[in-house]
Amino acid sequence: MFSRTRLLVGLQPRLVLNARPNAASAALVARRLISNTSCSHAEHDKHRHQHELSSGIDARTSHSSHILPAERDAYGNDVNPYRDGPSALDKAVHLFFFTEIIRGMWIVLENFFRPPYTIMYPFEKGPLSPRFRGEHALRRYPSGEERCIACKLCEAICPAQAITIESEARMDGSRKTTKYDIDMTKCIYCGFCQEACPVDAIVETQNQEFSVETREELLYNKEKLLANGDRAEAEIAANLHSDHVYR
Amino acid sequence: MVSLQRTIRNMRRVGLREWWRQMQYIGDAKAGTYVGKDQFGNRYFENRNPEEEVPGRHRWVDLAQHEYNATQVPPEWHSWIHHIRKEPPTNDPVMQASSPPWKGTYVENLTGTRGAYKSYNTVVPKIKAWEPKVKARA
Repeated sequence: MFSRTRLLVGLQPRLVLNARPNAASAALVARRLISNTSCSHAEHDKHRHQHELSSGIDARTSHSSHILPAERDAYGNDVNPYRDGPSALDKAVHLFFFTEIIRGMWIVLENFFRPPYTIMYPFEKGPLSPRFRGEHALRRYPSGEERCIACKLCEAICPAQAITIESEARMDGSRKTTKYDIDMTKCIYCGFCQEACPVDAIVETQNQEFSVETREELLYNKEKLLANGDRAEAEIAANLHSDHVYR
Repeated sequence: MVSLQRTIRNMRRVGLREWWRQMQYIGDAKAGTYVGKDQFGNRYFENRNPEEEVPGRHRWVDLAQHEYNATQVPPEWHSWIHHIRKEPPTNDPVMQASSPPWKGTYVENLTGTRGAYKSYNTVVPKIKAWEPKVKARA
């Protein structure tokens, strides 16, 4: 076991300096994570700013619109407008020595020595919003009564027409759905159904891992949607609670 | 595997046995604080030191089953491992208060097995198939 471990350790493909908990190596790590490639930002031209606001149509439609007015100093002499920029020699050096290519290759080399950002799914997962729109669920009231009142607003607003609802009055006089089908192959996950719902019955949960092997399994009926809501109610309610100040 | 030093450091922290298990499943030596365990025996860990774990990889799960898949994480822990909620459900007062008594048991995505969901009609069908009736011959 130990010899095997040593063998495995000896065959490490890359040797990378890593963080030891002292200040020098922390600085080294910070240095490694910061790109030292200089970047050129677009900046405003400080010499040629406009003094007054105007529509400027006349100036733009004239033939000499692309010719900027010549700059003059306090004595009325012409000023070289390129005095702050690179010289012709600098440009020629960058052109003939391929410095852009070398700078690009340097960025590649920097990233080669940085730790990778690969997330090892399914053991680690990326961040999701509490407003994420995933698999649908039908919720219940805290008493256990189902929320949906069969108003059919979600069916009306659904742009993909994925929802089919039929309703009947129950024995106690309350109107409930007998059929609440969502064709998940049609659904475009726009979230209009949960926004249209007056009683927060249909929601889109944060579950995105409901891929199936056959198409038939994506034709959800009411029982399936209620089961989704029953098992994920804590998560749904916690998400709605964390988001309720913005609604 | 990110680097040799990190691998050796985390191996010394978690022990050889745990390291071997991690290499079989996660494929990377990871060390952190134990956060909790769900009803299926999946163990959840966290390491919020940005010099040891790249931010974004700081929460992970050690799935109990050998035939692992992403849906074996129950919804409460799902929102923790997806960084939706800051606190784990064991000490998240909002998550505990919003857990109703009629909460259903969680099952993973059973597609491809005999337990897979199969769609059916929940109402009486309105269209009947034609059933031919043959009169008895004289």
